[in-house]
Formats: sequence, structure tokens, C-alpha cells
Amino acid sequence: MNSKTIKLAIIGMGRMGITHYSIINSHPDVIIESVADPSRLALSMISKYLKIKTFKNYEDLFKETNPDAVLVCTPPVLHYPIVKLAAEKGIHAFVEKPFTTKLSESSALRNLYSEKGLVNQVGYVNRFNDIFGKVKEFVEAGLIGKIVRFKSEMFSCTITHSDDGSGWRSSRDSGGGAVFEMASHAIDLVNFLVGKPDKIIGTSFNNIYSKNVEDAVSSTFLYENGITGTLYINWSDTSYRKPTNKIEIFGNGGRILADQYTIKVFLNKPNDEYKLRQGWNTVYITDVFKPVPFYVRGNEFTSQLYHFIDCIQGKTKINKCSFKDGADTIEIIENIFNDYEKNGRI
Amino acid sequence: MQKIDKIVFGDNQFFGINHMSQDKAQELSEKFYDIKNIFKVYHIAFDGGIRGIMLNSNDRAKEICSYFRDNNNKFKDISWYPSVPYPHKYANLIAEKGILPTINEVLFKDNSALGVLGMVTKGGMAVLGKDEMKMMQMLIDTEMKMFKGLNLNTVFLQNIITDLMLGYGVKEVFYEYCEYIRKKYKCNAGLITQNLPYLKTKLEEWGIKDIVLCSSFNKIGYLMSPSVEEYIKATKNNDPADYQIMVMSTMASGAIPAKEAYEFINQQNIQSVVFGASSEKNIKETVSLQ
Repeated sequence: MNSKTIKLAIIGMGRMGITHYSIINSHPDVIIESVADPSRLALSMISKYLKIKTFKNYEDLFKETNPDAVLVCTPPVLHYPIVKLAAEKGIHAFVEKPFTTKLSESSALRNLYSEKGLVNQVGYVNRFNDIFGKVKEFVEAGLIGKIVRFKSEMFSCTITHSDDGSGWRSSRDSGGGAVFEMASHAIDLVNFLVGKPDKIIGTSFNNIYSKNVEDAVSSTFLYENGITGTLYINWSDTSYRKPTNKIEIFGNGGRILADQYTIKVFLNKPNDEYKLRQGWNTVYITDVFKPVPFYVRGNEFTSQLYHFIDCIQGKTKINKCSFKDGADTIEIIENIFNDYEKNGRI
Repeated sequence: MQKIDKIVFGDNQFFGINHMSQDKAQELSEKFYDIKNIFKVYHIAFDGGIRGIMLNSNDRAKEICSYFRDNNNKFKDISWYPSVPYPHKYANLIAEKGILPTINEVLFKDNSALGVLGMVTKGGMAVLGKDEMKMMQMLIDTEMKMFKGLNLNTVFLQNIITDLMLGYGVKEVFYEYCEYIRKKYKCNAGLITQNLPYLKTKLEEWGIKDIVLCSSFNKIGYLMSPSVEEYIKATKNNDPADYQIMVMSTMASGAIPAKEAYEFINQQNIQSVVFGASSEKNIKETVSLQ
């Protein structure tokens, strides 16, 4: 083991923990030393085939091992106590989205990590998608002029049957529901590409299949500088084969429409630097993708975890999706819930 | 190992899958809503000399398989290359319910053909959970039911599963999968991957041979980890007696014109190309370029 080797622990071996394990296990400088998960079945399979330590809970993992970094992939309501303990032990942390379920907790973790100077990242994977990265470049280069309006949408066919209301995904207190699970992605994209809104109005929710949580949500975002935008999310839309983010940004110099695979951009004036014509242009993922060393679920999933390791190794100074970014999204989510409670019902 | 067809006809175009354009995906999905239009395209492919079909085990594939099974005497010389599982079925179920309840539902609900209805569902999972290889075999059988009676050449494991398991680096999973396919289905075992160089290195290290490897291969390196150069290196000195290589995404979802794409592909040491197209012009053009 050389000095730059990073000893890693993974807490929560559900869908994301399983994926992250596979991806980060390919990194030449990372050794996964331990995992924690309450499922006996998961742990017995892991200890049968993988030479790592397994724990039923995170407290024991932190007591008995000393990882350099941790990936936290539990239900969101558990993120706060786990990450707080990790901070106290001086452990760098990657936390799945949504960062926490309360702004007070998100802010506390953000402050704790910045005081300790530890690497901190939240799993908003769209920031590592090569198309959305290019959209950000276009916006920052002023290609579409001054931003006036935007629309951020996300669709999937995740919830398509009535539920019995059990399980953490069916409870808002645990971080379930379309706002925490899906709108968080669309909100983070707004923060990433346009900036954080100053006020939320006009929130409405729909229950389509879920008993206790919302399946569709829309909201309006207002900015002090005059920008306005709308958010619309539906996770019960069977016309979508897989989760899709769509963003449309209108500026006084043109318009951008993008999803994970394609950018359509209309420009009032041509741009030589990006070789874009006046009028319509299309940029495909095949034009802008950056290859990754190991592929499991899309380049962005690999890029985000390798970025976390780069930050720990000091190869990159600024984290692309820090706890501050995670807390910003939670702040907006709280405002969406507050707006809904006050104004969202007749 | 059974030899694979030089050209195999893929299926994405039939199921409204087009990664680059949702409008195009919708257009295709409407065009092929009537299954007769799917069969028409297959006949064009057969007329062009194609004798291999790759088909993912999604819901519509059932109807396609039935048609070919019912007309088996007409299609005796067609070889089948199923790929399992249909990943989105599992992805959506897992997102909604979690991993174990998903396996439980797939294996024990409406699955009388497996003869496991007698098992109490929860107890069934507890027993199976201790024998994950048996669980894997049952999942494969569930997905493979629809291909019964067809002339199988290779059964492929979808890349989402291959590459996920590759990241864990567990030899047993690959070994057991390949052995099971060969024994039970009497055909080649195949693995689809987006990490061909790394997968091949690991398989060699584990001594697992006689496998068909299927991967994206195009001159711009799209969906090829870690790089196009490593792919060329990994295939250059490959002995097809150990690993037959089938390639897909040769035109990188349309980013490379057909002629240019195949100028590159035809220089590579590969055994087969799988491609999908929905028009006679495109099918004929692609066949003629190989």
C-alpha cells in the first residue's frame, strides 16, 4: 500500500451503494476496507466473496476501522448522524443526494466540514454529465446573453403502482417522495446552471399512485435580478423509459434546450469559439463525451467518484458538488414544502 | 465453441430506444407499435443475407419469439442471440421496492413455469438468499422462458450486470454464469461489456475461456472504457478460439457515417457486428459495407 492509497468505507449497500462499490473498486488508488448495512443477506454475500470487513451498523464501523474516506448511501434521513460522526473522526465524505432531510442539518454538516478542511461531496450526478457541463460552459461564455427565463424538468416511470405506504421511499420524513428523490436533481441543475433562486412561489403537488408522498410537483422560482423559472417533476410518467432531465434556458441572445444526451442551441449571433452558427445548432453527447477509465452506469457516475478521490489526493482544489451545493438544494426544498403548506391547496 | 454469425441484427430500433433523440425514439415506437412492421423489417434483413438475431428479453420480445417459434419451419436457419435481463424492468422495480423484494417479485409472482409456486414467498427468499448462484440461475431461466424452442447461438448477459459484477472482481459469478448457460441452454455464453480490455484481462487471469464478448467499438471511442487504443490492443492478438468478439455501436449512435465507420471496423480483429436499422436502405448499406 503506498502513501496515496485511500482506505474507503461504504455505508448502505442498497442500489447506490452497490453501484458505487463496483465503480470505485476500479480506482487504482482506492482500497475498499469495510461496508456497513443492516441486511444480513447483503452482508453474508459480501463477506463470502469479498475480502472486506462488514458491520451491521455505522457506529461499529467507525469504532473498529479507521477509513480515510466514506461513501454514505443510506436512506437520506440517516445521513446526518453518520456524516457528523465521520467529521468528528476526520473522514472525507461523499454523501448521496438529497444531502439531508433538513436545512439545519445540512448547514451544520457544511460548517463542520469546512472548519475541519475535509473533502465533502454530494451525489448530484448531473453535474458530471458531459452535456450539462457543456451547457454550463455555453451559459458562462455568454452564448445566449443574459438569462431571462428557464424551465427545469425531470421525468421517469419510477412509481407506477399504488403502494401500501410502507418503506422509507413512501415517507417524506425519511427523505422519500418526488421532491426529495427527483426534484432535488432538477433543482440542483438550476443552481448549477443559473444560480440559487431568492423566492419560491406557486408550488403544487399531485398524488398519482403514492399514498403519503407527492408523485408530481411544480414550482416557480424568482430571482432578485429579475430571472424567473419553473420546475416540473413527475416520477409516474410511463412515457419515459428512463429518468430524464430536461432544461431550457432563454436568454436575450438565444435559447438552449438540453437533456442528458443532446443540446439544441439557437443563437442570435454566430459564435466562432464554439463553432456554432447563427440559428439552430445541435450538439450530441458523442461530440462532447470524455472517456472514463471504467464504465458501469454512465460516464457521469464514474466521473463523480473519481473527482471525489482527486479532491482527497489534492489533484483538484475545488469540489464540483460540495456540501454547500447540497445544502443550497435542501434550502430550496424546504421553501417548496413551506410554499406548498401555505399556498398549495384550495 | 459454436461459431457466431458475421452479421447479427439488433433490436433497439424496435423498442423506441434511441439515445440521441427522444423524437426519433417516439417515431420508431409508433412505427413498430404494430408488430407486423417489426416482422417486415426482419424479412428485409433476412433477404439481405442476415441469419442472426439479437433480442433483449423485454415484454415485446415475447411476441417476436412466439411468431418465430410458430413458424419454425420457415426460419430453421436463423440463429438467436438473446440478451438478459431487460434492465429497465429491474431498475424501476428496484427503485420502487428495493433489491430483494424485486427478486422476490420476479421469481415468485406469476411464475408458475418455474415450479416454485409452492414456496412461501418470504421463506423462499430466505432459502434462496443463502444460495445466490441458484438465485441467479432462476433469474436467468425466468428471462429465458420466452426464447424456448428457438435455435440459440449465444446467450448474453447485459452490460449493466456484467460491468457491475466486473467492478466487484468476483470470479465465481462469471464462471457460474458461463457454465450454466453452456450446460442448460447448450449454446455459447456471452458477456456484453463497456469495458472490453479490462474484462478480457480478468477472464484470462481467471482462466475463463470459450466466451463471446460483445462491446461497443467505434473510431471515436464512444462507450469504450478506457479508450479506443486499449480496445485495438486488446483485440489485435486475440485468438477467436478463446474469445469471439462481437461489436456494436459501430456508428456511435449516428455520429460516424456508415462508410467511415466500417472502414475502421473492417481493419479490426473482430468476428461479428451487431447492428440495428429500420429501413431497407440502411440495412442493405450496412450489410454491403462488411
